Amino acid sequence: MTTHRQQLSRRAFLARAGVLGAAVAAGAIVPTVTGLPFAAGQTKAGLDPVIALLRPALQELARDTINGLTTFVVPGSDPYSQAQGVSTNGPGAIHARTPDFLMSALDNFVPLPNEYVRPVAAALATAVADDKIPLPGDLTRLLPLHLNTVDEALKKLLSTDETVPLSLVIAMTLNLVATQVNPASLHGVFVSPFARLSWAEKAQAMRMVEQTDADLVEALDVNLPQPLHQSLSGVLKFVGGALIEFSAYGSFTEYAVFDKQTKSLTAKPVGWTISRYDGIAEGWDEFKGYYQGRTKVEG
Amino acid sequence: MRDVIVIGAGGGGPVVAKELAARGLDVLLLEAGPRHANPRREWTHYENDANNPLTGFFRFGPADRTKPAWFRETNQNSFLWQLSGVGGTTQHYYGNYPRAYPGVFQGYAGADRGAYDTEHVFPFTYKEMVPYFEWVEHTAPVQTAAMGTKEEIYFRGCETLGIPVQTTKDAKGFAYRPQENAILQPGGNAGRTSDRELLVYPKATGCTFCGFCFQGCMQPVNAPRNQFAKRSTDNSYVPMALTAEVWAKAGRPITLITDAFVNQVHYEEKHGTPTATGVTWRDTNTGELHREDATVVVMSAGCTENPRLWLNSELPNPNDWVGRGYTDHFFDWVLGTFDEYTGNSKGVGSSARCDFPGHGGLENVGLPPALEAFTLALSDSGVRGAYANGRGKTGNWDGPTGRPLGKELLDIMSHGIDRLLNVLVITDDDVEAQNRVVRSALPADRNGPVAKVEFHGRQRSARTLANREFMARKAAELLKGAGAKKIYRIDWAPLILHVQSSMRMGTSENNSVLDANGEARWVKRLFIADNSALSNGLGGPNPTLSNQALSTRTAEKIFRLYFGGDPWVGKEAPVVSTDHRISVRLGQLGL
Ligand SMILES: Cc1cc2nc3c(=O)[nH]c(=O)nc-3n(C[C@H](O)[C@H](O)[C@H](O)COP(=O)(O)OP(=O)(O)OC[C@H]3O[C@@H](n4cnc5c(N)ncnc54)[C@H](O)[C@@H]3O)c2cc1C
Ligand code: SF4
Repeated sequence: MTTHRQQLSRRAFLARAGVLGAAVAAGAIVPTVTGLPFAAGQTKAGLDPVIALLRPALQELARDTINGLTTFVVPGSDPYSQAQGVSTNGPGAIHARTPDFLMSALDNFVPLPNEYVRPVAAALATAVADDKIPLPGDLTRLLPLHLNTVDEALKKLLSTDETVPLSLVIAMTLNLVATQVNPASLHGVFVSPFARLSWAEKAQAMRMVEQTDADLVEALDVNLPQPLHQSLSGVLKFVGGALIEFSAYGSFTEYAVFDKQTKSLTAKPVGWTISRYDGIAEGWDEFKGYYQGRTKVEG
Repeated sequence: MRDVIVIGAGGGGPVVAKELAARGLDVLLLEAGPRHANPRREWTHYENDANNPLTGFFRFGPADRTKPAWFRETNQNSFLWQLSGVGGTTQHYYGNYPRAYPGVFQGYAGADRGAYDTEHVFPFTYKEMVPYFEWVEHTAPVQTAAMGTKEEIYFRGCETLGIPVQTTKDAKGFAYRPQENAILQPGGNAGRTSDRELLVYPKATGCTFCGFCFQGCMQPVNAPRNQFAKRSTDNSYVPMALTAEVWAKAGRPITLITDAFVNQVHYEEKHGTPTATGVTWRDTNTGELHREDATVVVMSAGCTENPRLWLNSELPNPNDWVGRGYTDHFFDWVLGTFDEYTGNSKGVGSSARCDFPGHGGLENVGLPPALEAFTLALSDSGVRGAYANGRGKTGNWDGPTGRPLGKELLDIMSHGIDRLLNVLVITDDDVEAQNRVVRSALPADRNGPVAKVEFHGRQRSARTLANREFMARKAAELLKGAGAKKIYRIDWAPLILHVQSSMRMGTSENNSVLDANGEARWVKRLFIADNSALSNGLGGPNPTLSNQALSTRTAEKIFRLYFGGDPWVGKEAPVVSTDHRISVRLGQLGL
């Protein structure tokens, strides 16, 4: 039996991770005291329709969060850049498809996803947050039954034998931090709290990830077995750095316009335009001679 | 039963393989990654296609790029950049081949003797090392670098530092100079045009200034493999090892097996001493295991994988120094923006340097856009203008250290990739036991527990930290002297690519794994020949020349100790790896 207090904490946790918001946005749950769309949610079979709705909703959540992250690094003229208050008139990470670049890397290529991700996913599946941060009205009006249904569906999603999407785990983590930086990020445009932050607030959030803010790590760490317990903060430090580095790297590559079949470009990469790069050639007219005419030196 | 099995075909392994093949031994070279036999078909000049550490054709992973890279745990904000495949990490290195500073060897008596890591010197003299430097310099071959625009501007900065030009291979004091590098100098049309038709071998020879060293050198078009401009070992030592019968009198070509991941070194007690007997390796495509025995086993799997293999094989480690003392030159990155063309993205990655023996060194590094953005985003000082992680150091650069992101990153990049000049700060760092490789506690892969690399960026020795600050200030001074408009210091988190000394050769059995022959102290017939065998961080110079010189020396020791032969360095003339006979034989073999 979960107590009322645990339920509140769990509700706050799921809201802050962006999961409840995403579920509501996708119609997977309806925040009302009357409607009971998933009355059968308590049984295992009853979870499947919720999972079917939740899965794309969570993918959307991940994408939205990553959108907000990549525009933090390389802003452009897109809505995410505009919302953070730092934007340009030209193309940025969104036009360079950096979110696709990052999501595909995170979900398909980061090696040993299970070993890396499962401890964090397990922590996310069970962690609670203190409920000092006020939730927006519609999220507080969820019936315990609905909450439990989403919660069970999430737990099942995060613990299936399929590879857990790392992008989701990262997105949930960033959103948890985002709501710590600014509780008001729990509501507004976009699905993800992180994407709702201002540029300066995103920087604050990344600071907390890099420094593995004690509260957050404790919240995630709480149920991890040894020796992974100690690994988590280090993993977060690494991930915090890597997310930024790869947002920068991806934005300036040919990723979005590379045709794998022909190994050629279908258009000029955004990053090449921004950086006024001359592109590739077999060689350049760049040979200026030898310093002081010296072509060799002795012992 | 082989004479010698060499594990790993990166910077060091092929040197031992080639040298012993030339002596007629039966050598098996096992490489975990693929062999890129046809670069023109397999490679491109695109940064993501090439360098993405997860999916690029240069990554630490299996041949099949749809499969994930091999995982290693790095438990801190850091980046470990190593590659699998024939050529190993030299496939995308920059070919800089400076000699180690004399001060890091035993018996050094210079006035600045106390300025080095005197606790962890090489167990023999610099004088003894020089003939091995010369042997490799001739083989590679190593030449004095040609200049592009970025070098001209770099030298302009150097001229304001009040230090002389160095005109010798040996570093004798503070000085600047063109790199001695393992890059063939431009000939014919090379460096003089971007017209593809004119850049075809032999109308063009050597370096064409294409600017893609990081993406793998395949220039000039149509050149035989052993004539490619950049002398990564897939272009130099491996071709020699595969054709040893045509250029060495008693030569016998090696057997090279790729996609072969060694997961166990076998040993037995012989006359009361653990003695290596062979290896087990896994075919990374089929998963099948194979066992091979040999008179001598040589580990050349690199600084991160040697300790893993050692520990997984449960080889003796009585002083607990396996994997310890990992040095990385504790790099930093200083960038200048210019109002003139700098040619940053063109030409050899790095052709100019400064040496500050006792402190470290500096070199220019040219980069295409994505790698440039990556270098600006790797910091331990947080995000400039937002947070500093308790750092945000100030000095003779503009503003605090840290990553420029958002608008500031765009400002720099849109200033123009070819109006930037980068200076890499290479710190003379101490060997520290705390920086090391251990086995990860995360679940193992099918070859056993994976490596976990621990680097303590902030709590390094006082000497290391002071050297890094000294060098960073010199870098900013150089850029200012060269005319930079704005100077950024990033304060890199550890970018671990000058990997060194994790299985070090040392004077004391208390803090080393190898004796002065390169043989494991506690396992006979087991040698280590690659960067991990180096005794220290060399004082700052790039490690591959020293690795290859030491590996040559180790090959001689093996030959003398276990095959009754005589050493050859200093007695015979080395053959250059561009030798025509090798080109012809490679053509016959379809390589
Ligand atoms: C961007 C970059 C630029 C650089 N520039 C320079 C430069 O200009 N000058 C310089 O001196 N150095 C440079 N370096 C460093 C240089 O690349 C290394 O010094 C050199 O490659 C190290 O050689 P190694 O043999 O120790 O390791 P590696 O070259 O990494 O080779 C190890 C090999 O072993 C294989 N292997 C690993 N485990 C196993 C196993 N279990 N079984 C079988 N095979 C295995 C790997 O696949 C790999 O091929 C640079 C490095 C980078 C990343
Ligand atoms: S710049 Fe020169 S050495 Fe580098 S890849 Fe191009 S041709 Fe090869």
